[in-house]
Amino acid sequence: MKVEILIIGRGGQGILLLGRVIGVAASKHAGLYVTSVEAYASETRGGESRVDLIISDNPEEIDYVRVLSADIALFMYPYNLIKYSEILKKDAYVFINSTFGEEHPYRTQKVFLKPYSEIAEKNLGSSRVANMVALGHLIAKTGIQEIEHIEKAIREIISENLHEINIKALKTGLALD
Amino acid sequence: MMKSFISGNIAIAEGAITAGMRFYAGYPITPASEIMEYLAEKLPRIGGITMQFEDEIASINAVIGASWAGVKSMTATSGPGLSLMLEALGLAVITETPAVIVDVMRAGPSTGVPTKTSQSDVMQVRHGTHGDYVIPVFAPWSAQEAYDLTIKAFNVAESLRTPVILLSDAVIAHLWESVLIADPGEVEIVSRRKPSVPPDAYLPYKPDDDLVPPMATFGEGYSVLVESLIHDERGFYKQDKATYRSLVSRIINKVLSKIDSIFEVETYYSDDYRYLLVSFGSTARSALAAVRILRKSGIKAGLLRLKTLWPLKHEILKKYCEEAEKVFVVENNAGKILYDIERVTEGDKVVPLPLLDLEIPEPKDIVDGVRKWL
Repeated sequence: MKVEILIIGRGGQGILLLGRVIGVAASKHAGLYVTSVEAYASETRGGESRVDLIISDNPEEIDYVRVLSADIALFMYPYNLIKYSEILKKDAYVFINSTFGEEHPYRTQKVFLKPYSEIAEKNLGSSRVANMVALGHLIAKTGIQEIEHIEKAIREIISENLHEINIKALKTGLALD
Repeated sequence: MMKSFISGNIAIAEGAITAGMRFYAGYPITPASEIMEYLAEKLPRIGGITMQFEDEIASINAVIGASWAGVKSMTATSGPGLSLMLEALGLAVITETPAVIVDVMRAGPSTGVPTKTSQSDVMQVRHGTHGDYVIPVFAPWSAQEAYDLTIKAFNVAESLRTPVILLSDAVIAHLWESVLIADPGEVEIVSRRKPSVPPDAYLPYKPDDDLVPPMATFGEGYSVLVESLIHDERGFYKQDKATYRSLVSRIINKVLSKIDSIFEVETYYSDDYRYLLVSFGSTARSALAAVRILRKSGIKAGLLRLKTLWPLKHEILKKYCEEAEKVFVVENNAGKILYDIERVTEGDKVVPLPLLDLEIPEPKDIVDGVRKWL
C-alpha cells in the first residue's frame, strides 16, 4: 500500500501544519512509513506552499521523496492547477477550496469543491482553521487515516488553547457531503 | 526508543542532544535555521546554552572556546556561513578541538539561491581551510540518518579530538520522516579522554598510542595551551622541520588510522549489477528510485551510496566499481565525488551525471542519463 498526497496552498493557510498532522497520525499512531517534503516561497505570507506526503506500510516503496503520481490532492488555493494535473492519477481524489474560484481542469478525477475558507469563517469565526475543515473533508471521503489518529496528532502538535477550535473545524469538515 | 515525526534539521538537533552536546552557537541562515530555532527552545531546558552571535566567525570561535571548557559543542550553517568559518575550522584542526560543524547545503556560489538545494560544498568541507589535515565528513540521506550520523559525528570528534563536518542539504533539512530517538544508554556515546597523569606531568599535545592527546579542561588544575602555530607537545611554538612534520602527520594519521570506523557505504542490488550508480545525500534517494525503475525494465542496475564523504577508503570504492561495466556518478552539482570515483576506476568506465538541479533531482532525469549509454 502506497499513498501519495499533494497539498498546495498559500503561505499562511497552514499548509505545512496540515502535512505534519497527517504525518504524525500516519507514522506515530498508525505505525506507517511516512516521508514528507515541504517547499515554500521566501515570503512569509502569500507565496505558494507545497507539501508532498508519501505514506506506505513498506519502507522499500519509499525512495524518491516527491510525489510523482498523486492519489490525493488538496488545493487550498488554486495555484498552478494545470501544472499539477501532470502528477495526478487519473482517478485521484481532488479537493479544491472553492472560496478562491471554482474553475479547474480535472475531468477524470473525483473532484470535491467546497468553500473551506468561507465555511471556517462562518462556522468557527476564523478562516485560519480552513485547513482543518479541509482535512476533515479529505479524511471523510478517502478514509486514508483513522480520525482518532488525526485528533491525537492535532492535540500533540498544536498549542493547547487552540485544540478546541481545530478539532471543531475537523469535525465540521467530516460532516460535509 | 521513542518514535517521532520530525524534519532532518530537527533530527540533527536531537542527535546532537543525544550525543551530549550542551553548547550551540550560531547565526541563522536558510536552510539551516531550524536547527538553532529548535535548540534555542530545547537546550536551556536540559542545562545547555544556545547563543546567537553576530556572525558565523564568532559562532565557530565560541564553539571552539566552549569545547575547550569541556562542553560538547556544535554550530550549523550553510555554504555562505561556512565560507566565513573556514579560518577558524583550521584553528580547530591544529588545536585538536572536538566540534561538530553542520553544513546544510544550498545552491551557490555566494548567496546563490538561499531556499533551494545543492550538493556543491563537497570540496569546501574537505579542503576549504588552508594547510594539511583530514576532517571527517558525513552525509545523511534521511531524517533518521541525520540523527544517527550527528551522533557518529560527535563520537568521532570526541574520540579523535578533531572537528567533524555533517554535510546535509536543503532537501534533508525540510524532509519530515519517522525518526527513532534513543533513550540514554541505548546508543554508544563517546566522550574525550581526560589526562591520566597529574597536572605537573601533563603535556597538552602529547599523544597516547592512538595518536590522540588526552584533553584537559580549563579549571581542573592542568596547564592548557591553545596554540594555533605549529607547536611541540607542550604547546610551545616551534618552527623546525621535525616538529612541523611530526604534528601535521599526527593530525592526519590519527584520523586515517581510524578509517575503518569512519568510512561507511551502503549498497542496493549489489549481488548482480552491470551498471553501478554512485551517489550520496538526498540525491541518492532519486538514484535509488532510478535504479528500481531501470530494474523493472530488465536493466541490472545497482546503487553505491557514500555515507562518509571524507576520508575515503579507496579499496572499497574500487571493489564495487570493478564489478560494474559502467559506473554513473550521480550528484546534484557540477561533479565532485566524480573525481574520487575516476581515481579508483580504470579506463573510460565512469560516466558523470552532474545534475545541477535546484530541486531534488527527478528519477526520470537519472534514468534518461543512464539509458543514453546502454
